[in-house]
Amino acid sequence: MKIGMLTWEYPPRIVGGIARHCNDLAIALAALRHEVHVFTLDFPGAPAFEVTEEGIRIHRVASEIGHPSFLTWVLLFNHFIEKRIADVGQEVKFDVLHVHDWLTAPVGIAFKRSIGAPMVLTMHSTEHGRSGIHNPDSSTIDGIEWWANYEASKVITTSGSMKSEICDHFRLPWEKVEIIPNAIDSDKYQGSVDREAVRARFGVQPQEKLVLSVGRLVPQKGIEYLIQAVPSVSWRSPESKFVVVGEGWYRDHLQHLAGTTGQAWKINFTGFIPDHELIALTKSADVLVVPSVYEPFGIVALEGMAAGVPVVASEVGGLAEIIEHDKTGVLVYPRNPDSIAWGINHVLSNPDHAGWLSQNARKFVPKAYSWKVIAKKTVKIYREVAR
Amino acid sequence: MNLSSGGLPGHPAIPEEFRLLCMLHNIGATTTEKSMSIEEVTQWTELDVEVLRHLLQKLRQLGYVEFVEVDGTKKYHVTPVGITKVMTLYS
Repeated sequence: MKIGMLTWEYPPRIVGGIARHCNDLAIALAALRHEVHVFTLDFPGAPAFEVTEEGIRIHRVASEIGHPSFLTWVLLFNHFIEKRIADVGQEVKFDVLHVHDWLTAPVGIAFKRSIGAPMVLTMHSTEHGRSGIHNPDSSTIDGIEWWANYEASKVITTSGSMKSEICDHFRLPWEKVEIIPNAIDSDKYQGSVDREAVRARFGVQPQEKLVLSVGRLVPQKGIEYLIQAVPSVSWRSPESKFVVVGEGWYRDHLQHLAGTTGQAWKINFTGFIPDHELIALTKSADVLVVPSVYEPFGIVALEGMAAGVPVVASEVGGLAEIIEHDKTGVLVYPRNPDSIAWGINHVLSNPDHAGWLSQNARKFVPKAYSWKVIAKKTVKIYREVAR
Repeated sequence: MNLSSGGLPGHPAIPEEFRLLCMLHNIGATTTEKSMSIEEVTQWTELDVEVLRHLLQKLRQLGYVEFVEVDGTKKYHVTPVGITKVMTLYS
């Protein structure tokens, strides 16, 4: 099939899970011998067009006009992506357009009309869930999300909780929405690392316990509750050190909050780190904490599980579907520092049990969350709508 | 989520320098070639020049903005790290 994938983030333009999701899905689709064209935004240093070694055709589009208003900017870049698809569409007859989230929905909606190809939409999250509908702009985004869900022939969500959320919020027919989970490349997490050297780079000594958290520094990730749990964890596990990986507009607030715990010296905010370093760090951690308050899927938890590190996660959204409590990880109450501290201490103070948890998780992840399986399920949907 | 909201209900406001960073990104000052002078940025953002200078200085220290000198005029643009920082707001 000829597939047009539309996403506002694609490597090297990476911020959250969408870029990695689209990249890995595109690779898996190409491996199944489908022709994949990715339409995305430009990024300094990345070519405007390239064919990757896997055969993916990436079209990076510059928005030639800017505007300080975010929503206007979104409409402008959609316009420029539309022009590029129009050019490519002269030579390529797409069988399906696959839009990821609302940011590229306007161009997807326009093109499904003009080229007569059906549109599939993956909803990775909703404005309602991310921040609530609290002002005119968020109301507009919510409206565009509803519009995209209405226009799509099929909607994909990555978890059952997300399916319930969008069916309820957008009043979608249940049968219009398919659940296809995220996946990861477990092979990336095989092999050994020099644990002591990796930990030392992040200020963690061999005898200390590395408590790791990875995610965008925004309220929905719940990092503030982990920080509030630091004194309780330190009381039970004085040798614990906390490494917070990620970036976001909430960082200043979180660092200030860390200062109020009296334990700021134990908390290292690293900002973004390269993928290879993140994998090494994850494999070197004693526990990975995912304290999200809203998490449609929670791919970070899967990555931790694949890396063989015990995972402590909030019992919300997709996390509660990925992790079986006290078998493949530990679930804790969201927005609850005491519960998070309990979960971390439960892992740190029971190394044998922690090892058993991570072993179970490591066996489970490749079976349930492989990109090959996920790509085949996605193609089944493409074929269904392209009939 | 947007900048005019001043952040999320119940959470601290988005820092001023971050608002400016987002505006620089949205108006297209994202590469050396598309760098903008303080006067150009002022026209788009309607910020006071002195305030703008102060915020740009802060963003430079954080590594989110760089400048190039063209005919003796400093022109500013968002760095790749700055672009990723902006995207955390919308993703």
